[in-house]
Amino acid sequence: MRIPAWPVLALVFCLVGARASPAADDRADAAPSPELVSQGKGLYRQLCSTCHGVNMVNPGTSSFDLRMFPREDRDRFVGSVTHGKNSMPAWGDMLQPDEIEVLWAYVRAGGKS
Amino acid sequence: MFGPEVAESLAMSGHGHSAHKLNNGNREEQPTMKIPLLATALFLLLPAWGYSQTTDELVKGATDTANVLNYGMGYHQQRFSPLSQVNKQTARNLVPAWNLSLDDNRSQESHPLVYNGVIYVTTHAATIAVDAKSGKQIWKTKVEYPPETPRIVCCGIINRGAALYDGKVFRTTLDAHVVALDAKTGQELWKQEVINWKDGYSQTLAPLVADGVVITGTSGGEYGIRGFIDGWDPATGKHLWRTYTIPGPGEPGNDSWPGDTWKHGGGSTWITGSYDPELKTVYWGVGNAGPWNAAVRQPGDNLHTTSVLALDPQTGKIKWHFQFSPNDPYDFDAVADMVLVDMDVRGTPTKALLNANRNGFLYVLDRTNGKLIAANKFVKTMNWATGIDESGRPIESDLTKKMRATGETVEVWPSVWGGKAWSPSAYNPGTGLLYANTLEFGMKYTPTKPQYRAGTTYWGADLEWVFPEDKNVGYLKAIEPLTGKAKWEVPSPTPRWGGVLTTAGGVVFSGQATGEFEAFDADTGQKLWQFQTGSGVEGQPVTWQQDGVQYVAVTVGHGGAYVVYAGDERLANVPSGGSLWVFALHPQLVQASR
Repeated sequence: MRIPAWPVLALVFCLVGARASPAADDRADAAPSPELVSQGKGLYRQLCSTCHGVNMVNPGTSSFDLRMFPREDRDRFVGSVTHGKNSMPAWGDMLQPDEIEVLWAYVRAGGKS
Repeated sequence: MFGPEVAESLAMSGHGHSAHKLNNGNREEQPTMKIPLLATALFLLLPAWGYSQTTDELVKGATDTANVLNYGMGYHQQRFSPLSQVNKQTARNLVPAWNLSLDDNRSQESHPLVYNGVIYVTTHAATIAVDAKSGKQIWKTKVEYPPETPRIVCCGIINRGAALYDGKVFRTTLDAHVVALDAKTGQELWKQEVINWKDGYSQTLAPLVADGVVITGTSGGEYGIRGFIDGWDPATGKHLWRTYTIPGPGEPGNDSWPGDTWKHGGGSTWITGSYDPELKTVYWGVGNAGPWNAAVRQPGDNLHTTSVLALDPQTGKIKWHFQFSPNDPYDFDAVADMVLVDMDVRGTPTKALLNANRNGFLYVLDRTNGKLIAANKFVKTMNWATGIDESGRPIESDLTKKMRATGETVEVWPSVWGGKAWSPSAYNPGTGLLYANTLEFGMKYTPTKPQYRAGTTYWGADLEWVFPEDKNVGYLKAIEPLTGKAKWEVPSPTPRWGGVLTTAGGVVFSGQATGEFEAFDADTGQKLWQFQTGSGVEGQPVTWQQDGVQYVAVTVGHGGAYVVYAGDERLANVPSGGSLWVFALHPQLVQASR
C-alpha cells in the first residue's frame, strides 16, 4: 500500500516547527510579561497563598518554598500543579491550561509583580 | 439479670462488638453460633465497664483527675486541673516519660483524651489509641479522604481531637465526615457525610458530646460557605438537627444581609463549643463573615457571623446570641474558646463566659442571657476600634471609617490573625487569671473585588503583614478578665501557636513554635522549666494522674496557619514531624513525694 508523502512531511514539519517555535523559546527563556505576572499574582493569592505564603514567602518546611523552584523547569511545575506532588494536591480537574501558565509566570517572577 | 430485650437493646445501641463494619467497610462479622442470651448480655457489658463513658462522667470531667474526658479539660473549657504534684517547686524536675511518633508531617493540634489508662489522639490522617503508661500504640485507624481535599483548607492540615462517649470515639475528617469508632478496637461503627467538601467545607474540630448528642461544626469561612452546627445520634449517626449560623430567608436576622449575600456569608464553626450542663446550654463561636471585603455585605450586621451562639443541645435552637464584630471587614473570626467561669463580678456571683476575641477585646458575658459585663482591650496596639459601647458594639476608629468610605489601603492592628487566634486559653480559679497566647502584629489591608468560584478562597482583600519593631509577634499573657490588663506577660519572637494549660500547682504550660515545651509560674510568669521537643508546639497540653504519678501530654509538630501563611522565615530551621510527648516528674522524685 502506498502512503502519500505530503501528510507525513506535514506532520514532521509541525512537530519540528512546534519544538523550535519562537513562542516556545520565549516561554522558556524570556522574562514573563508583567501582564501575565499580574494575572498570576491574583490567581496565586486565591489558590496557592494559604500554603505557600503571601508573596510566595514561607519557611519552606511543611509546604514548598516556591522561591526555590527551578525557573527553567516548566514541565515539572505544570506536572506538580496538574497531578499534585507530595503534600501538594492536584489541581488538574479545576484549572485551565492558561491558568497554570499565568501561575508559572508569577512563580518565574519570584512572587514579585 | 437481663432478658432478651435488654440484650437486643444493648447490641442495637452499639455497646458491644457483635456486628459492625470493619475498617475496610467491605465485610461484616457474622455470628457463627447461637449462645445463651444471658451470656451474650454479660459479654456485651464487660467491655462497657472499661470503655463506656456516661453523660455523668463527662459532666464531672473537670474534676476527674484520673482521666481527661472533655476537650478543654472539662465542659467549661477552663483547661484547669486540680492536680498539684507538678508545682512551682517540682516542675523543674519534669522529664520525658515517653514519645510516640504520629507518623505525620502536618500540623499537630490534637487535644489528647485519656480514659482508664488509654490515650486517644488524632491527626488528619488517623485516630490512635495509646497505652498511657508505656506509650505503646494499641490501635490506629487511618482516615482516607480524596487527595484534592487540602485545596479547600486554608490554614494547615489539622485535626484537633476526638470526643468519647458510650464506648465510642467520635471524630471529624478533612473531607467533612463525622465518624464513630469502637474505643476498644478502633473499628468504624458509623460514618456520615456532613456536606460536599468540594463547595469549600472541611472539618478539623473535635466533636462535643453534650446531653447525649454529638455536636459538630464546619470550617470553610474563607471559601464562601454558609456555616452551621449539626447534632448527631451517637448510637447510630442519625442526623438530628442543623442550625445555620446565617439565617435563611424568612428567619430572624436574614435582613442583616443584602440580597443573596447570605448564601456565601461564611460564619464557620471550626472550634469545639463549651457546655454548661446545669443550664443545658452549649456555647459555640461563629467565624468571620465572607468575603472579607465588607462593602459586599453592606448594609447590615451580617448575623450571626463573629458571634457566640447559646444553643439547646437537643434541638440546636438558638437561645441567645451576642455579636462581637458586626459587618466585620477584618476576618475577626470569633470561633475560639468560650471559657465558662463562675466568678464574682462587683460582688455578685455570676455565671460568666470569657472570650479573648480575635478583634483584640476580652469579653465577659453573662452566660445565662448573653448580656455584656465587660469588654476591654488585651493587646498592646489596636487602631481598628477605640472601645466597645454599652450595647456591646465596637466603636470603630476613624481609620476603619475611612477604609469603609474609600476602600483605600490602611495599616490595621491587630491583623486578620487577631489579638488571639485559635490558640485556646486557660483559666485558673486560684489566681482568677486567664492565660492566653496573644498576638501582636498588624497588616496593610486593601479591599478588592471578590469573585466567587466554588472550592476556592472568597476573600476580597489583599494583605501584607506588619511586624512590630521589636519583632516579638507573640505574648503569653496572664490577663485579668474584667480589665483586660496583663498581670504578667512573656514575649516570644514567633507566636506560641498551641493551647495553654494551668493547674492547682500554680503552673502554666504552653509551647513555642520553635519546639520548646514550657512551664511558667502562674503568679509571676517566671519560667520554671522547658524541654526541646523537636518540632513546633501547636498542640493542646493536658494532664492527669495515674498510679500516683501526674502526667502532662502534648502533641508536637508544626504546620499550622502561622507556619504556612504568615511567611515567618525565622521558622525555616524548625523541622516538621508529629509526635506525642508525655512528661512526669523524675520517678525518684515522685517516690520521694509520696
